Amino acid sequence: MLKPQSIVRLAGLFVLLVAGFIVFLGGYLWLEMERVSGQIRAREVLSASSEVEAGLAEMRQRATRMAQALALWDETRQQLSFSEYYQLWRDDRVRDAGMISDKVAGVALYDKQGRILAPSHPDRPMLAKLPGEALQGVTTALLQRENGGSRFSLFVPVHADPDHRILLGHVGIKFDFTGELRRAHAYQFADLSRLRLDLPEGGTVDLDQAISHLRFSIRPNPDLASFHDLFRASLTRLVVVILLLLFTAAWLLGRLLVRPLRALSDEIDNLREPGGSLPYKPAQASPLPILELENVRRSFNDYQARLSELHSDLEQNSRDFYDQARRDALTGAFNRRAFDEDWKSLGEDRRLGRVALLLFDCDHFKAINDTYGHQVGDVVIQSIAGALQHALRADDRLYRLGGDEFATMLRDADTLRAERVAERCIEQVLSQDFRAHGMSEPTTISIGIALSEGDGMTLHELQKRADLAMYTAKRPGSRKLVFYSEDMGGMAALVANKEISAVFQAIENPDLIELHYQSVMSLPMATKEYVEALARIRFEGELIGPGAIFPIVQARNLDTEFDLAVLRALDRDLTQGRLPAGQGVSVNLSAPSIVHAKVVAALAELIRAHPGRKIVVEITETALITQIEIASDNIRRLREAGCLVALDDFGSGYSSLRYLASMPVDLVKFDISMVRLLDSGDRRQQLMMEDISSLVVTSGYRMVAEGVETRELLDKVIRLGFSHAQGYYFDQPQAPAAWEAREQGSHLVTPLRESATEAATATTAPST
Amino acid sequence: MRFFLLLIVSCIGLAARAAPVELTLPDKLVAKAEYREGDADKPAVILLHGFLQTHEFPTIHSLVEGLAGSGRTVLAPTLTLGVTYRSQSMACEAIHTHTMSGVEREIDTWVKWLKARHKGPIILLGHSFGSVEVLAYLSGKPDPAITRFIGISIIEGRLRLDAERFGKLIREMRRAVKSGEPRVVTHPFSFCQKYQATPASLLSYLEWTPRRVLDASARLPLPNLFIMGGLDDRLGDGWVEKLKARNRVKIIPGANHFMDGEHEFDLLDAVLTELQAS
Repeated sequence: MLKPQSIVRLAGLFVLLVAGFIVFLGGYLWLEMERVSGQIRAREVLSASSEVEAGLAEMRQRATRMAQALALWDETRQQLSFSEYYQLWRDDRVRDAGMISDKVAGVALYDKQGRILAPSHPDRPMLAKLPGEALQGVTTALLQRENGGSRFSLFVPVHADPDHRILLGHVGIKFDFTGELRRAHAYQFADLSRLRLDLPEGGTVDLDQAISHLRFSIRPNPDLASFHDLFRASLTRLVVVILLLLFTAAWLLGRLLVRPLRALSDEIDNLREPGGSLPYKPAQASPLPILELENVRRSFNDYQARLSELHSDLEQNSRDFYDQARRDALTGAFNRRAFDEDWKSLGEDRRLGRVALLLFDCDHFKAINDTYGHQVGDVVIQSIAGALQHALRADDRLYRLGGDEFATMLRDADTLRAERVAERCIEQVLSQDFRAHGMSEPTTISIGIALSEGDGMTLHELQKRADLAMYTAKRPGSRKLVFYSEDMGGMAALVANKEISAVFQAIENPDLIELHYQSVMSLPMATKEYVEALARIRFEGELIGPGAIFPIVQARNLDTEFDLAVLRALDRDLTQGRLPAGQGVSVNLSAPSIVHAKVVAALAELIRAHPGRKIVVEITETALITQIEIASDNIRRLREAGCLVALDDFGSGYSSLRYLASMPVDLVKFDISMVRLLDSGDRRQQLMMEDISSLVVTSGYRMVAEGVETRELLDKVIRLGFSHAQGYYFDQPQAPAAWEAREQGSHLVTPLRESATEAATATTAPST
Repeated sequence: MRFFLLLIVSCIGLAARAAPVELTLPDKLVAKAEYREGDADKPAVILLHGFLQTHEFPTIHSLVEGLAGSGRTVLAPTLTLGVTYRSQSMACEAIHTHTMSGVEREIDTWVKWLKARHKGPIILLGHSFGSVEVLAYLSGKPDPAITRFIGISIIEGRLRLDAERFGKLIREMRRAVKSGEPRVVTHPFSFCQKYQATPASLLSYLEWTPRRVLDASARLPLPNLFIMGGLDDRLGDGWVEKLKARNRVKIIPGANHFMDGEHEFDLLDAVLTELQAS
């Protein structure tokens, strides 16, 4: 299959072919003209030969007439009869009488035997003796070469009588052959100016054979030459004109056809090139002079316009898709993907300038979500996003990183500005009113802020610092707006990759989970009734505490998996006898786990595997809010299996009194922040604590006080009717080995220390 | 009369037997003649042409036709003048070698030739210088059969020279002839401005001077008549008068030297009238 060729090449090839054909045609016509000229010249040669032959015949005829007239002349017969005055007659009389022309070179009379009557004139030599054929009584014509010239002699018999019966003699006349031949005929073709006789000197030949001895040239044919010149000039002009017309046509072809086609082709090629952009203007803006090309141009431009329009639509769609892909559908804020891209656009390894990274997290959003449902939760998220966006500058992007977590980056922001923005965000969020959605409590957010002061910090470091600040802000009792400080460096490990890896590996391998146990004392006798299992992870020789574990678990939504791992670890300890036989134990379950059938089944299996051992399940109140029916069913099944259920962290969250009367729990475990109210000097808070305690007791629940660190506080909770107490006053969470050693000493738990300071430090860790 | 002659020429003449004849002369030359055989009982007529002419000269030819038409035997020879089978008038410039005596011999030969074919009398008729030549023949020893002479437009045969120069020329010619010089002389003679001839030839004609012609005509022993044209301009002054003084002369009014045109009939009428008298 032929390879497509460029129209330039094809047009050029066409022009060259046509030009070649014209030149070939011109050459052919030229050769044809030469051939015709050759034929004409050949015919002229024949004509010239014919002319010479005719001239010879005419010359002979004229000479014959002259000789015959001479032979019939009386005075000729007179001389043949009486030749006494022959020379006078020969030299004068015959000429004076006009019997011969002045062109005659010589005249002579011969007797019957062919002998000349008298010696010829020296200047006009004649044959002294007639040739034999002349004696036969016939006219004889001879051509002879004489003295370098050519002569023509004619001999005729002379008779005495009219009947030619009596031969008297012969008369001979001689001419200059060349001159006579020229005069004999009007030559159109033969050029006798250089007539040459091909005979040796003195040689003779009969005139009839003379033509074969004559050499002459052909007279130039002026008509042929003129025609030849005219034809040559005309042909040259014709070829030149045709070539000019051809090149003009080629120029027009190039201008009218090739160039527009190439322009269109180039435009199409540009469109075909990878990365080639659509033209923003038509390839050929001005109309083309050729209708078909104009149609193509318009069609192409229309197609191009439609393509450009389509391209614009696609670009718009792409931008929309791009935007949608980077927008959070619920809030309209930029999503995690946009955050990551923007984050990368700053360059992870690049040293940052002045920039502040703010991480936002909704406090207790899970509780809100569980309490009021997902729809309300979505509204809360949308409102928080709107509030944050409102608080930010127009060009500051708000990212929803997931769930209730938001972030923004403030470029060229210093501490003061970041703090002002953060406070504005807190105020905006706090000002949101959700009462229309049945939620009366205010919504708060925690903000972690990390600043780069242009000190060469990397993005990774900045993000890590913001995370640490956020975790700090999320800690109970912490300020909601926390800037990263160097003293948070110790927490860095908690969010480092190592801790995350430890959590994931612990889920896969529960043997990494090391359960520490803290006693829960029965009041008022303060005897140990059971222990609370608290999860730690022993990873690469280090013990990772709950402060690092649970933020990762919650952030990664690993609650159920981690609870299952804890249950397996508890089963391991119980099976291995790390707890005294009959020793009751409580275990914390997250809100998602209590509604998870697999967790409930695992817990039921634990109860079944260790009969006679008191098992207490501690759940937060959010577990009751979320999927209350499933949670209630599962709790009921667990209670039926012999398990006690404790409501953990009561008073740290929403602690809706609406559920208090109907909560399917056995124990209500007051959060440490509530218990500490008893130590505050605020009487009103003490009274509220007393009333709440009274209310819970009245509702039929037994109460557990967390964070009992002093005897005074113990007395207070005993007085308020708490049935159980837990805290550093009795013991710290310990590994089974240490705990066993201590247990062997006494069943009574001896308060560890009275130092509130030390106790406070220890109880900052979550009870879980 | 003219109508009658025309009738004779056109009707009777057609019946005359015409034949060209050739006669080999003693000098081997062949002479040609026109011969018409007529009535044997009528005199035959020999017509001699003028100087250098032939028997086909119109004046002679008309007379031949007229006379033959009238039933007369007519012979019109052409003098050879040295040319065998001569059939053309000789040019003045030709090389003339013929002489008056040669002419006389040829006339005599033809007279004898005719006499052999015609038993009756013969009448000699000459035109112009032919009349002189006939007169020269008759001045010698003419054949007895000759009974009458008619000279038409007889010319004096003179050179246009004065007497002294003429005499000198005659002497010179005679000396040349006597010395036998083979040369040719050219002189005006008769109507020729350049007559080229041998001295003997020229001398033979020059010796027939006008006076000799007049004398010879006066001494002829037979009847003669000279018929002259009334307007003949080739004659010398007083020539006709001189002829009249010593001869019978008939003048045809208005006719020139050649009696051509309508005068040829007058000539024929005159000749026939003269012939009837013989």
